[in-house]
Amino acid sequence: MQGATVIVFSGKFRVESFVAFVNHRAQRLQLDAMVELATPERIEVAVSGQPALVDAFEMACSLGPIDCLVRDVERKNASV
Amino acid sequence: METGWYPVALAEGLERGTSTGTRLFGRELVVWRDSADTSHVWEDRCPHRGMRLSFGFVRDNHIACLYHGWQYDTSAQCRYIPAHPDLAVPNTIRVATYPSIERLGIVWAYDDLDSDAPQDIGFAERAPVTPVRSLYIDASAAKVFDALVLAECPSLKDAGGATQRSRTDALASLKSGGDEILVAVQPLSDVESALHIVIAGSPDVHSGDSQKRVSAWGEALRREIEGAAGYAGELRHGVAP
Repeated sequence: MQGATVIVFSGKFRVESFVAFVNHRAQRLQLDAMVELATPERIEVAVSGQPALVDAFEMACSLGPIDCLVRDVERKNASV
Repeated sequence: METGWYPVALAEGLERGTSTGTRLFGRELVVWRDSADTSHVWEDRCPHRGMRLSFGFVRDNHIACLYHGWQYDTSAQCRYIPAHPDLAVPNTIRVATYPSIERLGIVWAYDDLDSDAPQDIGFAERAPVTPVRSLYIDASAAKVFDALVLAECPSLKDAGGATQRSRTDALASLKSGGDEILVAVQPLSDVESALHIVIAGSPDVHSGDSQKRVSAWGEALRREIEGAAGYAGELRHGVAP
């Protein structure tokens, strides 16, 4: 996804639950989001859209669903 | 739970520029009235962080969440986010709404979110009505109706003969001669209900004494339903003036 920001969430995840949460939040914030990696310890999401809403997306996902625990969030530029 | 129209508030009790929270079958609703006097019934949850919108502020034609001030217009669309004043708010950020209407001096909601409600609410408008009060009862709507089908219409201005009773899914009518009261039953949960009581007829006729009598009648009904048997006779034999 060109021009996207990749947000990396580290922690303990129920993958299915967290990915559903990511997709719901991205849809609500009208962002394009693609899950690039999803393991029980690490989720990487490439996301693009209005910068303020990308920030809101990161904040929402840092809380995550009740059955997941996000310990760390970092950003990196998406590969082209 | 049956999909249909249910009362959620007395219209007169919902002043312009105010909001209140209530429940329907255990789900939380915000009921608010805008500056144009139109009432709205929405899910009581800001899409941002889930704060109850009933705790928020109504300003002109929008309601703002108490938590971060996100503002929603009368179509439930978020229009302004104070932390990002220049942001073009996407149309995906909106509150889920219940179809609503005002009839008989009561705000009604159709308990199916974001649906097209049937136009037929099950009864006709009856203007004018005199609002009395809302009452909260620790009993299911079914138990409330069990009591209403036995209750007598309180004597007001033009009583005459035995009480005639009729009902729809959420509304009971008790009529005696020219007197008639209407009781709308809101299922708050499986074990709690709210009654919204009005008198059929003009406030010019029924303000004051009639309202007090019907209010006392409602309290007696509540005591009977909740099991205070000592007061049961009031319902059968009328409320003392």
